[in-house]
Amino acid sequence: MRVRVRLIGAFAQRCGFTERELELPEGLTAGELLSRLKLRRLRKFVSREGLPVRMAQPLKDGDRIVVAPIFSGG
Amino acid sequence: MKGWTGNILRINLSKRTFKTERFSEDFALKWIGGRGFALKILWDELKPGVDALGPDNKLIVALGPIAGVPMPNSGKTIVAAKSPLTGTYGDGNIGTHVTIQLRKAGYDIIIIEGRSADPEYVFIQDGDVSFLPAGEIWGKGTYEAQEWLEKKYGKTAGILSIGPAGENKVLYAVVRSMEGRAGGRPGIGAVMGSKNLKAIVVKGSQDIPMADPKTMKERGLDDLRAVGAMNKKAGWSVQGTNAVLAWCNEMAALPVRNMRHSHHPDAWKLDGQRTSEARVATYGCPNCTMRCGIAVLDHEGHESELDYENVGMLGPNLEIFDLKQMASLNWLCDDLGMDTISAGSALSFYADAIDHGATQGDFKFGDAERAKELMRLLARRRGVGDLLADGSLKMAKRFGHNSEAYAIQCKGLDLSAYNCKYVPGQALAFGTSAIGAHHKEAWIITYELKHSERGGYGRDKAQKVIELQRIRSSIFESLPICRFPWIELGWDLKNYPEYFNLATGANWTLEDFTNTGDRIYALLKAFWTREHPDTDRTADYPPRIYFDPAIADQEGLIAGKHLELDKYDVMLDHYYDIRGWDRRGIPTRRTMERLGLAEEAEQLAQTAGVS
Repeated sequence: MRVRVRLIGAFAQRCGFTERELELPEGLTAGELLSRLKLRRLRKFVSREGLPVRMAQPLKDGDRIVVAPIFSGG
Repeated sequence: MKGWTGNILRINLSKRTFKTERFSEDFALKWIGGRGFALKILWDELKPGVDALGPDNKLIVALGPIAGVPMPNSGKTIVAAKSPLTGTYGDGNIGTHVTIQLRKAGYDIIIIEGRSADPEYVFIQDGDVSFLPAGEIWGKGTYEAQEWLEKKYGKTAGILSIGPAGENKVLYAVVRSMEGRAGGRPGIGAVMGSKNLKAIVVKGSQDIPMADPKTMKERGLDDLRAVGAMNKKAGWSVQGTNAVLAWCNEMAALPVRNMRHSHHPDAWKLDGQRTSEARVATYGCPNCTMRCGIAVLDHEGHESELDYENVGMLGPNLEIFDLKQMASLNWLCDDLGMDTISAGSALSFYADAIDHGATQGDFKFGDAERAKELMRLLARRRGVGDLLADGSLKMAKRFGHNSEAYAIQCKGLDLSAYNCKYVPGQALAFGTSAIGAHHKEAWIITYELKHSERGGYGRDKAQKVIELQRIRSSIFESLPICRFPWIELGWDLKNYPEYFNLATGANWTLEDFTNTGDRIYALLKAFWTREHPDTDRTADYPPRIYFDPAIADQEGLIAGKHLELDKYDVMLDHYYDIRGWDRRGIPTRRTMERLGLAEEAEQLAQTAGVS
C-alpha cells in the first residue's frame, strides 16, 4: 500500500524529508510506521484527517499521516 | 526570610523620590512572587476606575524566589499595571538581565508611581536610584535605545525600555529588553510611556539569599546541562516555536485573513523549516537552555527575531506569505515597541472592516508595503494610525456596522495565533483568560485534538483549562520562570516545587502551587469585576464570529463546522462550577473566603455584586 507521511518540526530534520509517499506492507500499524522512522519513542501527535491515530491502528492505502511533536503554543 | 530578598523598591517619578520597604513572609507565601505579587499590590493600591494612562496607575516589576538563579530558563521578569487596553489587571513576562540584576540589587519588586515632568530613565544600582534625562533616546526605536544604554552600562546590565509606541501610548505597546525580548501585551509599555519613563536600568552586586545555596548551585548546574541535552535530543531549537505553524495549518487552526479561514496553501512559505533555513542568528534569555529566537534577515536587511506568534499574526492572518516582508513587519513592531499579535490583529481587523463596508480605507490583505506604513503611523498615532493604535475592539466600537463580531479579541485583548473557530476548548481558554485572550494562560489544542473530541464541549475541557491556568499562574507567572522545559520537553513539573523549597526552606508540593493558582485566578477575575461592575458571562465568550455558520470553512478538515453558543454555555457553566464562581463568572464570597480572600471579597462587594 502507499501512504503519504507529513513530518513537522524537528521530525522533518531527523528523517530528512517533510512529506513523502512511502510503499508499505499491507496492514502495517501506525506504531510500526513510526518505528521504521525511528520516531516511536519520542513525544508526538499522530493524526489522519485531523483525528488522532492510535499506535495499534492499521494504516490503509491512500492514508496521509501527519506526525508532529507535542506543542505548547509558544 | 530565604529565597525572597523581602525588599520592595518604591519609586515616585513625580516627586523624584525612592524608598525601600519590606514585605512579610506571610505575604510571600500567600502570593509567591511575579504575577501574584503584582496583582495583590495593584488590587490594594489602585483605586477602582483609576485612569490606566494617568499618574495614579502604578507600574510593577516583580520577581520571585528562584528568579535569576542558575537553573533552567530562570531569566523571566513580570511587568504589570492596570491595562489601558482591557481596563483590568494586565501583565507580561519578559526574558531579561533585569531578572538577575534586580535580585542582586537586593529587590524582588519595583513599584513605580507618578509621572516624570520630562522624559527620563531610572538607573538602579544596589540600594541607590538615579533619575536621568532620556532626551537623547526619546523618540528612538528600541534597538537604538538599548544600544545607547548598553554603551553606558554594559551588555549585562538589566535594561527594560519602550519604543515610540509606548511613548505615544499605543494601547498594546510592550516593554522590551535584550533587543529581541518583549513582554506586556496589554499595553504595559503604554503605561511606562504615560509616565514619561523611557527605560529602567538595573545593576546589582549582592548575593541572592538561598536556604540551601550549595545544593541549589549543584543541582542548578546539573539541570542546566540535563535540559540542554534534552533539547538537543528532541531537536526542539532547530525550528523553535515556529514549528507549530505547519501543524496549525494541517489541523485547520491557523489564523488566516482575520481568522476567517483556518488553512492556507501558501502557509509553507513561512513555516518552521523555511525560517530555520533562513536563520542568520539564534537568541535566548538569561539562563536559557532552549533558545527560541530565530533571527532572519528582513526585506530591508535587519535581523528580525521570529517566533510563531509573530509569524502567524503578521503572515497568514494578513495574507502576507513573503518571508522577508513578514519579517519586516515583525522588526518594525519590535523596534517601535508594540505587540506583534495585537498589531497584526488590528491591521487584519482594519482590512476586514474595509472589506465589509464598516469603514473606508486603502488597506487590503496581502499589502505588505502599506502594512509597514500603517505600523509607522500607528506607533506615532498619526492619521489613521491614531485609530489603529487603540486595538481592534475600540476600533469596532467606532466603526459600528456589527464589526465588533469580527474583532478577534476577548476582554479587549486580541487572540494569539490560534484560530479556534472549531476548537471549543481553546476558545474557552481564550474566553476565560482573566487578562484577555493570551496563549500564556492556557493552551489546550494539543490535548483537545489528541485526547478528547475536537467538536466536544465536555467537562474535561473546562477541567483542563483550569488545570493549566492554575499551573501557569502559580508556577510560571509567579516564580516567574519560562514554561518551555516543562511543556515542550517534558521536564518534570515537580522540579519547580523542589527548587522553590531549596530556595525558601519551605516544604511545598505541587498542590500548594495549584491552590495558590486558584487564589490568583479568583483575584484576577475579581479585579476585572471591580473595574467592570456590570460584567456578565459574555465577558468570557470568544469572538462572536466563531458562532456564525456563515464563516465556517467551505472546504477542508472543518468544512461547515463552527462553535455553538448553547453548547459553549454548558462548557462555561462547567468551568464556573469547578472554580466556584457564579453564573455571571464572578467568584462567590464562599469561594473567595476558602481561598483566603475574605477581605478582598468584602472590598469587591462594595463596587460589584458578590453572591
